[in-house]
Amino acid sequence: MNSIPPNEKTHGIELPQPTAGPMICAFGFTLMAAGIVTNWIVAVVGLTALLAGAVDWFRNANPDSLEMVAPPAREKPTPIVPRPGSVDHLLGDSSHRARIPMEIHRYRDGMIGGAIGGVVMAIFASLWGLIAHGSLWYAVNLLAGTLRSGVADLSMEELAAFSTEGLIVGIIIQAVMAITVGLLYGVVLPLVPRAPLVFAAIIVPLMWSGLTWAAVSVVNPALGDHVEWIWFIASQVVYGVTTGWWIIRSEKIGTMQNWHYVDRIGLETQRTGGNS
Amino acid sequence: MSALQPPAAAGPVPFLSRLHEWVATVDHKKLGTMYIVCGIIYLIVAGLEATMMRWQLAWSGMEVLTPAEFNRLFTMHGTTMVFFVGMPILLGSANYLVPLMIGARDLAFPRLNAFSFWLFFFGSLLLYFSYFGGQGLYGMGSAPDVGWFAYAPLTERTFSRGHSTDYWILGIFVAGIGSTATAVNFIATILGMRCRGMSLMKMPLLAWIMLVDCVLILVALPPLAAAQILLLFDRQLGAHFFDTQAGGSALLWQNLFWFFGHPEVYILILPGFAFVTEIIPVFSRKVIFGYPLMVAATVAIGFISVGVWVHHMFVVGLSPMLNAIFMGSTMLVGVPTGIKMFNWVATMIGGRIRFDTPMLYATGFLCQFLLGGLTGIFLATVPFDWQVSDSYFVVGHFHYVLFGGLVFAIFAAVYYWFPKVSGRMMNETLGKWQFWLLVIGFNITFGAMHVSGFLGMPRRVYTYHADRGWDFWNLLTSLGVIVQILGFSLFALNLVHSLFRGRKAGDDPWDAWTLEWSTTSPPPPHNFDEDPIVHSRRPLWDLKHPDDPDWKYE
Amino acid sequence: MTTAPAALAPPEALPQDGIVNGKIGIACMIISEIAFFGTLIAAYLFYIGRDINGPYPQDVLDVSIAPLKVLFNSIFLLISSVWIWLAIRSMRRGRMGAFVFWWALTVLCGAEFLVGTGFEWYGMIVDDGVWMGTNLFGSCFYTLVGFHAFHVTMGLLVLTLVLVLALLGHVTPRNVEKVDLVSWYWHFVDGIWIIVFFVVYIFGNMPVS
Repeated sequence: MNSIPPNEKTHGIELPQPTAGPMICAFGFTLMAAGIVTNWIVAVVGLTALLAGAVDWFRNANPDSLEMVAPPAREKPTPIVPRPGSVDHLLGDSSHRARIPMEIHRYRDGMIGGAIGGVVMAIFASLWGLIAHGSLWYAVNLLAGTLRSGVADLSMEELAAFSTEGLIVGIIIQAVMAITVGLLYGVVLPLVPRAPLVFAAIIVPLMWSGLTWAAVSVVNPALGDHVEWIWFIASQVVYGVTTGWWIIRSEKIGTMQNWHYVDRIGLETQRTGGNS
Repeated sequence: MSALQPPAAAGPVPFLSRLHEWVATVDHKKLGTMYIVCGIIYLIVAGLEATMMRWQLAWSGMEVLTPAEFNRLFTMHGTTMVFFVGMPILLGSANYLVPLMIGARDLAFPRLNAFSFWLFFFGSLLLYFSYFGGQGLYGMGSAPDVGWFAYAPLTERTFSRGHSTDYWILGIFVAGIGSTATAVNFIATILGMRCRGMSLMKMPLLAWIMLVDCVLILVALPPLAAAQILLLFDRQLGAHFFDTQAGGSALLWQNLFWFFGHPEVYILILPGFAFVTEIIPVFSRKVIFGYPLMVAATVAIGFISVGVWVHHMFVVGLSPMLNAIFMGSTMLVGVPTGIKMFNWVATMIGGRIRFDTPMLYATGFLCQFLLGGLTGIFLATVPFDWQVSDSYFVVGHFHYVLFGGLVFAIFAAVYYWFPKVSGRMMNETLGKWQFWLLVIGFNITFGAMHVSGFLGMPRRVYTYHADRGWDFWNLLTSLGVIVQILGFSLFALNLVHSLFRGRKAGDDPWDAWTLEWSTTSPPPPHNFDEDPIVHSRRPLWDLKHPDDPDWKYE
Repeated sequence: MTTAPAALAPPEALPQDGIVNGKIGIACMIISEIAFFGTLIAAYLFYIGRDINGPYPQDVLDVSIAPLKVLFNSIFLLISSVWIWLAIRSMRRGRMGAFVFWWALTVLCGAEFLVGTGFEWYGMIVDDGVWMGTNLFGSCFYTLVGFHAFHVTMGLLVLTLVLVLALLGHVTPRNVEKVDLVSWYWHFVDGIWIIVFFVVYIFGNMPVS
C-alpha cells in the first residue's frame, strides 16, 4: 500500500441508500413465526409486513442498487509518516523477521542429557531408600507402583523387598520419562531468556513436583502416603541439575532458517560441492 | 451533488432522526456496532441469570429459586450466551472489521446484512417474550426449561406443556436464518471484495479466520434449523420424529443437535482466535509467526470440527468402535489448535512486548484457553468422560474455553478496537483493574467447579444435600462471582466514561499494521477516501518502514 | 506520497479477479440449502423401515408413469432445467422474445409439478389416510417432500416475478447476470429433487424382504 490512485469517479463515492425494507421484512418474518404460538392473525400481519418490506427492498436493489453520494468526511486521516531506519533487529544483524531461537541444541544432546540425569537421579533415589528404609529397592518399587496395581495393599516390608517385575517396570518408566524430559529440555532451554540452569534445575522440577503432589493425592492417595516429598523434590532437582548442565554445555547448532531453500529441503546439488 | 448532501447541521440532530438513521442503516459499521451493543446487553442479562443460579447453589439446601425457575435459568443462560452473546459479538466485530481490513467500502450485500441483524434482534426478543407468553398469551408465562440442547423427547408436547419450547425453537430458528445469511454475505465479501493487491495469502488473518468461520456457519446452522423444524412438526402437527412410542428416536435429535452443536463451539471460539492473532503481533512488535501455518491450522480446525460431534454422546451407549473413532477425531483437533498456540507464543518470544490492556487480555486468553483445551483432551478420552460426564467438571471445562478463552479475547478486542470505533481511548488503569479482578474471579469460580465435578456433583441440579461435601467448593464458586461482578462493573464504568471523557485516540494509537488504522477514528461512512492498494500482509508497515518493507519477505 | 530515499519499488499490485459477488452468494446459499436438505434426508433414511404401523410406503406410493403421478411430474420438473438454460442462452444472445418463451415454459413446467404434487398429496391424505401424525413414514414424507415443494413454490414466485417484469419490458439483456442467478437456484431445486426422488420413491419404497 504505497501508492493510492485518486478515485476515477468525478461525482464522489457512492454508498447504498439507507432503507427500512430489510428491517420490516425481518419483523414480518418474526411475526409469522410468532403466529404459530399466538394467533393466526399475527402471522397474517407478519406476512403483510414481510411483503411490504420485500417490495421496498426489491425496489432498492433493482434494476440497479440505489446509491447515495457519501457525505464528505469532516476530517482527513493523518498521513502516515515513513520512519526509515527505525526498525530494531532481533539478534545482532539478523532481520527482525528472524525466528527465535537462532541456535538450538541437538536433539541427541537433549536425550543423552536426559539419560545421564535419569541414571544419577536413580542412584540418588536408591541411596535415599537405603538410608531411610534400609533397602535399595524401596524407591524402585514405589516408582513401579504408579503403573502396577495394588501398591496400597503392600506392606513396608514388601515395598523394601526386591521384585523383578518392579525393577523392570521401574527401569522402563525411569528411562522413558528421563529421556523424554531431556528431549523437551533440549528444545526449551535455548528459549529461556535468563539463567537457563536455574530454570532447568529448580523452577521446572518444583513445578512438576507440585503437579505430581496434587495429582497423586487425588488419583492414588495410597501411593502418595509412601512418598517423602522433601526427598522426592531433592531427587528431581538432582535430575534437573545433571540434565540441564549437560545440555547447556553441549554445542549449539544454527537453525535452518537462513539456509538456502535448496539446502533446506536436502537436495544434493552443486551448491555445496563447488564444481559447476 | 449539493442536493444530495445532508444539510449543514446546526445544533443537535433530533432524537427521532437519529433513531431512523440507525434503524434504516445498511452501513456495516453501524450494524456491527448494534450487534455488539445488543451482545453486551444480553451478556449482562445472561450474567445475571448465572448469578441467580450461583446464589441458589452457594450452600446446600438454599431456597432462593424454585426447581422450575432454576431449570428456566440454566436454559436461558446457555441459550442466550451462545446465540445472543457469542454470535452477535462475533458477527458484529466481523461486520465492523472485515470490510475495513480488506479495504472494501461495505459488505457484498449491505441490505441482506441489515436483514440478518434484524432477524437476530427480533429472534432474540421472541425468545425472551416466552417469559410472558410461554403458556399461551392468556396464562402465566414461563420460559423454556429444557436445557440449551433441548433433548427430545423431553421437549415433546407430552413432557413440555405450553409454548415455552416452541418459543425456544422459533427464536433460535429466526436468529439462525440471520446468521446463515450473514455467513453467505461474508464469504462473498471476503472472496470478492478485497482491495487491489490483496491476494488471499496477503489477507489479515482475521479475515481468513472469519472466512473459515462463515463456512462452518454455512454447514452447521441449517442442520439445526432442520432439526428444529422436525421438533416443531412433532409439537404442532403431531408428527412422530422423536416420539419413541411410534418408533421415533431420541438418538436422532442428539445426533442432529450435536452435529450443529460442536461446530458451533468452534464457530464461537474461532473469532476469539482471530482477535488474539491480530493483537499479539502488534503488542509484541513482531510479525506473526508462521502465517501460512496459521491459515492451514484454521482450515484444518474447520474440517475436523464437523467430524467430532459424537463426543457429546459418549455416555449414550453407542458402540465402542464409534466411541473410539470419535475419541480419535476429537483429539486430532488438539493438533491444529496446538499449532496456533505455539505460533502465538513464538510471536511473543523475543518481542518487545507492551502489556497494554488488550495484550493483557490476550495473554490471559492464552493461559486460560490452554487450561480449557487440556481438560478438553481429558474429556475426549472415553473412560474419563464416562467418569465426569454431566458433572461440574464439564461445566468448568467449557467455561474455561468460552469464558476464559472467548470472553477474554472479546475484551482484548474491545480494548484494542474501541479507539477506532469511538475515536477515544479506554482508560488503562480501570482496564488493568478489571483484568485482574476478572482473572481472579474467573479462576476461583470455574477452577472450583472442576473439584466439585470430581467430587461427583452433577450439572443442572437446583440444590444438593449437606452431607455430600460440596458446600465449600460451591461457596467458593459463588464467591468468585462477586469478584467477577466487580470486574464487569468496572468495565461498564470504563466504557461509559471513555465514550465521553476518554483521551482522543488519533488514527493509529497502537502503531499497528492493518488497513483499518489508516483511516480516521471513527471511520467515515465510505471507510476510505481512496481505494487502498496493498503489497504485503502488513500494508501500514510498508508505509512506515519503506526501507525494510514486508513484501521483500513474502 | 513522499517516501524515504531508500524506498524500494514494490512489485505491481494486481487487481483481484472479478468473481461476481452474486455468484458467490448464490453458491453459498445453495450450500446451506444442501446442508438443510441433507439433514431432512438423513432423518428420512434413518427412519426407513422403522414404522410400527402402516400404511407403509409400498402401499401408498405410485411410481408409475401415469399422468399427474410422481414420475410424470418429475419429468416436467427436470426438463424445466433445460428450458431455463435455453432461456438464459437466448438472453445472452439478446433474443428477448425467445427468452420470454423459454422462461414461460419453465414456469408452466414448474407449475405442473406443483399441481401434480397437490394431486398426489390429495390422494394420499383422502384415499389412503396418511398424514403427518399417521406414522413415521407420514412425518418423514410430508416434511421432506413438503419442503422441496415449498422451495419449488418460492422458486416459481421468483420466476413469475421475472416473467412479469420481462413482459413489462423491465428485463433487458443487461440484467442477464442477475437473472442467471435465479436459474442457478432453479437448477438446485431440480437437482435436489433427483436425490429426494431416489430416497423416497426408490430406496424407501423397496419391497420389505
